[in-house]
Amino acid sequence: MTLWDLKQGTSATVESFCTALQSEYRTRLSELGFHPGEHIACVLSPSLGAPKLYRVNNTVYSLDDSVALLITIA
Amino acid sequence: MPLISKTILIGSPNSGKSLLFNQLTGLNQKVANFPGITVNIKSGKSTVAPELVLMDFPGVYSLHAISGEEKISVDAFYAGLKDPEVSSVVCVVDTTRLEKGLIFALQVINACAKHNKPVMIAANMIDVLNSHGMTMDLEGLAAALKVPVAAISAKSGLGLDHLQELITSHRDSPSPYPSDIDSKGNNIIASDDSIVHRQAQQLAASFGPKGDILINSQTRLDQFFLHSWFGGISFILIMFLLFQSIFTWAAPLMDGVESILQFAAVAVLPLLPAGAISDFVSDALFGGIGAFLVFVPQIFILTLVVGMLEDSGYLARAAVICHKPLRIFGLTGKSFIPMLSSVACAIPGIYAARTVDSPRKRWLTYLAIPLMPCSARLPVYSLLIAAFIPATGAFGGVVGWQGFAMVSIYLFGILCGLLVTALVSRTSAALQTDLPFVLEMPPYRLPSWKPLLRNAWDRSKHFVTKAGKVIFMVTVVIWVLGYFPNQGADLGQSWLGHMGKIIEPAFAPFGLDWKYGVAILTSFLAREVFVGTLGTLFGIEGGEENIISLVEHIQNSGLPIGAGFALLVFFSIALQCVSTLAVLRRETGSWRLPTQLFVSYSIFAYGAAWLTFVTVQSIAG
Repeated sequence: MTLWDLKQGTSATVESFCTALQSEYRTRLSELGFHPGEHIACVLSPSLGAPKLYRVNNTVYSLDDSVALLITIA
Repeated sequence: MPLISKTILIGSPNSGKSLLFNQLTGLNQKVANFPGITVNIKSGKSTVAPELVLMDFPGVYSLHAISGEEKISVDAFYAGLKDPEVSSVVCVVDTTRLEKGLIFALQVINACAKHNKPVMIAANMIDVLNSHGMTMDLEGLAAALKVPVAAISAKSGLGLDHLQELITSHRDSPSPYPSDIDSKGNNIIASDDSIVHRQAQQLAASFGPKGDILINSQTRLDQFFLHSWFGGISFILIMFLLFQSIFTWAAPLMDGVESILQFAAVAVLPLLPAGAISDFVSDALFGGIGAFLVFVPQIFILTLVVGMLEDSGYLARAAVICHKPLRIFGLTGKSFIPMLSSVACAIPGIYAARTVDSPRKRWLTYLAIPLMPCSARLPVYSLLIAAFIPATGAFGGVVGWQGFAMVSIYLFGILCGLLVTALVSRTSAALQTDLPFVLEMPPYRLPSWKPLLRNAWDRSKHFVTKAGKVIFMVTVVIWVLGYFPNQGADLGQSWLGHMGKIIEPAFAPFGLDWKYGVAILTSFLAREVFVGTLGTLFGIEGGEENIISLVEHIQNSGLPIGAGFALLVFFSIALQCVSTLAVLRRETGSWRLPTQLFVSYSIFAYGAAWLTFVTVQSIAG
């Protein structure tokens, strides 16, 4: 299951990054809080496939499917 | 200790760093650079300690750069740490999002330790925590980090005196972490990313504010502004206001600039001897330079409104709304505002593209901007549509053909821009770094007007002083070519006129004679010059104002209908605006992109105009 599959109002734990995601982006995502073991909540899933809003600690980020599909969650 | 000591202000975007800088320096700033590093760093003297110079470094999320631009900013920070005049570093942290800020702060503390520079934390937005009844353990955090922590509000000014005292008293004091090792030999500040993250998490949990009030209120507003219906309606309303600000609110100011220039011309011209000097001042200075100065109010107002949207947090939401449709064309949601601004004028649009953080997406946005139907095209479209499209309508006159033609040519320009970016994004190699769409949703806030006004002023000044030089040079060249050798008596007999006749065969394939060739050449200065030049060539004084007479002359000149359509298509594509080219050169740092765009869009415009001429003529018989 990927982060993009997370439904609005639900949460999960980041498991890993897909190898397709470049290493520097993995580092940046980790610095922003999207690192393995971290608890992520999907706070908003706008219609028509728009980027979704995810909460990590006290910060909200918008990620589109090109990134969220490369983050696996458990 | 050197007489002048410098303090670096560093922080993540949206941490309130620049607002703090403005408060500490009282807006008395200048732009500086470290040798060999081309990044704008604002510097200003402290209002309480004149020997102290504060330096506002560009906001970065991390000291691990993932794009060329970030690397430049990070390199500038490291160069600053090596500067002997730099006596301390202040890292600004947003206390409402403490963990994220602490990850960056720990990186900064680590870097400062390696360079033996004292560092302190400015815990910003403490007023927001207070207003929600939340607190944090600042002393505990300072003790854990072993660096001073000052609670501040850059917006209200709360705690700034204490921060200034800390800066003054701690400068040049030894770093608490020589060689990363504390007095007991433990590695306090880890450089490993995962450990840094865990430390930040523990510190935020131990000393940070507790509760979800802030994030919950932000989410409620997001549910409205990103709602399928309400979000769409509010987006349209806000964009309508933005568009109004560019066109309607800027109009009186633009008229004001024009009046001042006219007044100055009336005052100055009689003092000059009649002849070339007087004509130069009248046509090249007041006419040519004045034509670009009238855009200054538009740039000022647009920068102000876009800055307000950015400060309020709405710009990030607009980017989310627009991202999906624009991604089809290789762009990002952040490209929307620059493109919308360009419908008024490409120049503020190019400046607004600074908000696009991905270098590749910004580059693609630059490709689309010159094709947006800017206001300078409007007089040309109005003239050609009035000359070639009948003033009748369909459905009992409900839909006028002239209005339909105007909407069509506007949409044609937008479509061309999107198709170009779609094509280039799919076929060109990625020379620039492309960042994934990961956008921090800043909290909703009331904007701070002072820095917004300052930024709008700086941007306007930048346009006048930097782009103005190039515009002035080109204006002089065009004026000389149009004035000599017959002292402006007859544009047709000038060097420019001769050039028009030489290039006449180039425009003949779409039915244009030398007069239109000259008008196209002069419209390189600004597209609307086309109308004035045609007026001059047809012997009409004030071609812009006397448009009906000019329309009749064009209709009676025997120009085929296909040529009129071809001109419309040509002007919707060709990059004939020296101001746009000059600003693009300033923003990209070289002539490469402006030259590429000018040449490729000229060829594209020529080919499309020829195709239009052939098609329309074959239909018209």
